[in-house]
Parts: sequence; C-alpha cells; structure tokens
Amino acid sequence: MSKLVIKNLHAEVEGKEILKGIDLVINEGETVAVLGPNGHGKSTLLNVIMGHPKYIVTEGSIFLDDENLLEMTTDERARKGLFLGMQNPSEIPGVINSDFLRAAVNSRNEKPVSTYKFYKSLDGATKELKMPFDLATRSLNEGFSGGEKKRNEILQLLLLNPKIAMLDEIDSGLDVDAIQVVADTIKKLQATGMGFMVISHYARLFDLIQPTRAVVIVNGKVAIDGDPKYIKRIDQTGYEFIKTELGIEITKDENNMNTVSIGTCGVKEAIK
Amino acid sequence: MERIVPNYDKNLNRYLVLESSSKYFLLDLKEKTGKIEIAIQDGLDFDFLLINYENVEEVHFDVPENVNVNVASLMHFDKKDLKITADVAKNSTFTTYFADFITSDCKGDITVNLNGEGAICRWHLASLTEKNEHKEFAVNIYHNALNTYSKMDNYGVVRDEAKLVFAGIGKISNGMHGSKAHQNAKIMVFDKNSNGIAKPVLKIDENDVEASHAAVVGKINDEHIFYLTSRGLTEDEAKRLITFGYLKPIIKGFEDEEYKEEIINLIEGKM
Repeated sequence: MSKLVIKNLHAEVEGKEILKGIDLVINEGETVAVLGPNGHGKSTLLNVIMGHPKYIVTEGSIFLDDENLLEMTTDERARKGLFLGMQNPSEIPGVINSDFLRAAVNSRNEKPVSTYKFYKSLDGATKELKMPFDLATRSLNEGFSGGEKKRNEILQLLLLNPKIAMLDEIDSGLDVDAIQVVADTIKKLQATGMGFMVISHYARLFDLIQPTRAVVIVNGKVAIDGDPKYIKRIDQTGYEFIKTELGIEITKDENNMNTVSIGTCGVKEAIK
Repeated sequence: MERIVPNYDKNLNRYLVLESSSKYFLLDLKEKTGKIEIAIQDGLDFDFLLINYENVEEVHFDVPENVNVNVASLMHFDKKDLKITADVAKNSTFTTYFADFITSDCKGDITVNLNGEGAICRWHLASLTEKNEHKEFAVNIYHNALNTYSKMDNYGVVRDEAKLVFAGIGKISNGMHGSKAHQNAKIMVFDKNSNGIAKPVLKIDENDVEASHAAVVGKINDEHIFYLTSRGLTEDEAKRLITFGYLKPIIKGFEDEEYKEEIINLIEGKM
C-alpha cells in the first residue's frame, strides 16, 4: 500500500504564500474529496504535489512511501505513480494525441509497448469513455471542447494507471451523461485500489464516486479532515459553519473576488 | 510514384517541363551552378522535388497560365546565399514546402511575383536553426495583378546560440483590387542565448483588399512542458515532441516517403 504524506507544507507563487502549513496523509485505496472556498489552496496543493515550476515550496515535506517527492522532477513523480488530471489541460499544437499517449505509456516501461498492443488498449479505453477514436489522432487538446479535454484527461488516467490520482475539477465542462461515464471509470479504478484526491465544486460527482474522506482547505491549511458527510453539508449550507463552529475566520482575498466564478481557478485569478 | 528528370538545356541552364507519363518531376541540381530556370508547360499540374542546389546561385520558376505547381524542397547542405524566384501567371497556383536544415549561416532571398489575374502563392517554410547559425529569410510576395492571393507560413525552431530572422513582405500594388495577402510567422526559441525575430510587413497601396499578419516569437510554454512531464515524459522528451510538432507539418507537402522519413529523422536526430 502506497502512502502520500504531506507535512507542514508551505508554498508560494510569485511571492504570495498560498499554502500555510498543510498536514495530510493519503493512502492508496482511499478517495478523498478536497473541498474549500475558491483561492484557498486546493489547486495549488495538487500542483505542488505534482511539482509545477510556478509554485515554490518554502517549508515542509511531501513523501510518497519513503521517497522525498520534493527532490524529484515532475516526470519522476509521475513515474513513481502520481497523476494530475488538470483543470485546464494545455492545448499543444502539432503534438499528436496518440504519439503523446504512447510516449507517456512508454515512459513507464522498460521495453516500449508494441504498436498493436498500444492501439488495442487505446481503442478499448476510448470506447469505455465513449470518445470518438479520432480524438486520439488529433493534436493534443487543440480544438477539443471542454468536455473532450476532460475525457482526454481520464483517458490518460486509464492508460497510465497511477497509484494516486489527483483530479482537479474534472467534472467542470461535462454534461450529466459525461459525468456518469467519468464516474464509472473512477469507480472501476477505485476497485483496483487506486487512491484519489478529487477537487470538485459539485456534489453530483461525489454522490457517484462516494469519497471515503472529506478534507476542507481554508486559508492554506487543512481545516477539516474527516467524515465524507461534510460534502453534503457544504453543498447545502456553504462554508459559514467553519467560522461559527470551528472559529476559523475565512480570509477574503484582498484582490477583487468578482473575477472568480465557477469554472475558473481561484488562485490563478487571484494572482493576476 | 516515379519522378522524371525534365529535359535540360545546357546552353540556357534551363529545364523544360512538358507533359509526360508522370506529373512528378525531380530537380536534382547536384552538378549545377549559376541561375537555373524551370520553364513549365501551361495547362497542366506538376509536382517537383527540388534538392541538392547548394552550388546554384538562383532557382527560378516560370509558372505559366492555368497550372498548379507544387514544389517540395529539402535543404540539407551548407549554403550562404539562397535565392528562389518565381513568376506566376493568370489563374495559376504556386505552392511551396521548403524544409530548411541548412547547416551554415544563410541569407535567403525569396521573391514571388503574382503577375496574372487570379494567381495564387501558398508559401510554407520550416526552419531548424541551431549551433551558432545565423539565418535570415526574406520572403517577398508581390501582387502585380487583380484578385491575386498569397498565404505565407514561416515556422522556425532556433536553439544553441543561433539566430533566425523571418522577414515577410506582402505588397499589393495600386489598382490590384480584390487581392488578399496573409502572413503567419512563428519562431520557438529554445534557450536564452538564441534569438528569433519575425518581421511581417504588408505594403498595401489599394483599398479593396484583404490583408493580415500574425507573428509569434517565444520560448516553449512552461505549462506545456509541465503537462507533458506530469505524464512521465522527461523534459527532453517533452521538448522533442513539441519541436517535432512544430516542424513536422512541412512533410505534408512531400509526396516521397523517403523524404518524409528523412525530414522526420533530421528533426528527431538533431534534437
């Protein structure tokens, strides 16, 4: 069983501290719902775990089993079994999706996968996700609709089979049917023992994938780490109870919060 | 598909391209020097593969009325001065795919004259500039007739302390209404000691026209690298894939599998 252990993690972006001492343990086999108001550090946490160069870790540690992730490059972390399904997957012109997927699969294998075997698994995965196969032969995410990009993220998750998958608003831009398809895939992977950290603003996805824990990040720290029943409560009543019951003042960003809306990343907007 | 070598007139230094059993012609200029002219019969479509012209001063295409000419050229040699010219007559299309893997400094001077009504030029250049090379390509397209159309695409990758300049000029002369001139230049700069410059210029002396230009010079997007490396590709692999994607589209102009393959090998091998 793999275990991701985060201790006293502080991280900043462009001189602004976003994470202010995160303590969190994620076990393989768990599905953790990551909640919290916009701009409080959810996406930042996932990006820092994956090693995004924009974020600078100023204090603390992240270990996967006995290995120090902070000493590894992003690709090494990926090969150790981490995956980040992105909120806004990059569009990369000229890079053919299937060429990229094959290179990604091969990065994990000592011997390159045979062309036949690769296309067979790609064909199976695209069918499972009800994706048109031609998406695999187009430029990576270029001209993809929002929903197609998100399905392409799940396609990669299926093919790469990580130990712990982090999904950042994987359900935004998906219609009801597509959310069901994505949830079915996640459930299948849960059954294999894959661990999940899932950010979403909507209870629908969580209803379908049944997280085993809920973690609420407020002011760059973990305010709640516990029962998944918090998901329903937050969905119905918002974050007000964190102040009234836990006594944690929810910091409003000093920047204009009006620019932040559902479907945009709070941190990205806040640091503009 | 077999390529035919067109008739060559030694005295005039001229190839005469006539109707034959194939529309595919090979212009292998290995032993040639001076200005080479390619004169084409009207009314037919021709596809040229142009290679080995390192010792040639100028390559000139004379494109008559009502023809579609496709020129694919692999430039993989030392060449300080490159000169390509073309005159395009009425209702003809001159389409080029130049793959620049020139291994020296190079000053490229390209001029296409759209001399007849409805003449079209679709210009494509992909350049890999590296290892202290300094390359400058000036691509001039002159709209000298009514309702002429040009689309210029220059793509480049510059790395290892090299310098690449694309200067594109689209000129629509007075009275040549209904003409359209479009330009697109993109240069990806790999390292901070390399330099990429795009100078798109439109000289328009007529009101009833359509013209546009776009120029992008930049380093590889960090988000793109992060995206690819987050899937397990090393940074070098990610850069190779991105570069490949940048230059590879030029091969769509090549009909010959061996040249497609050679270009792919040049892109991959050099990275």
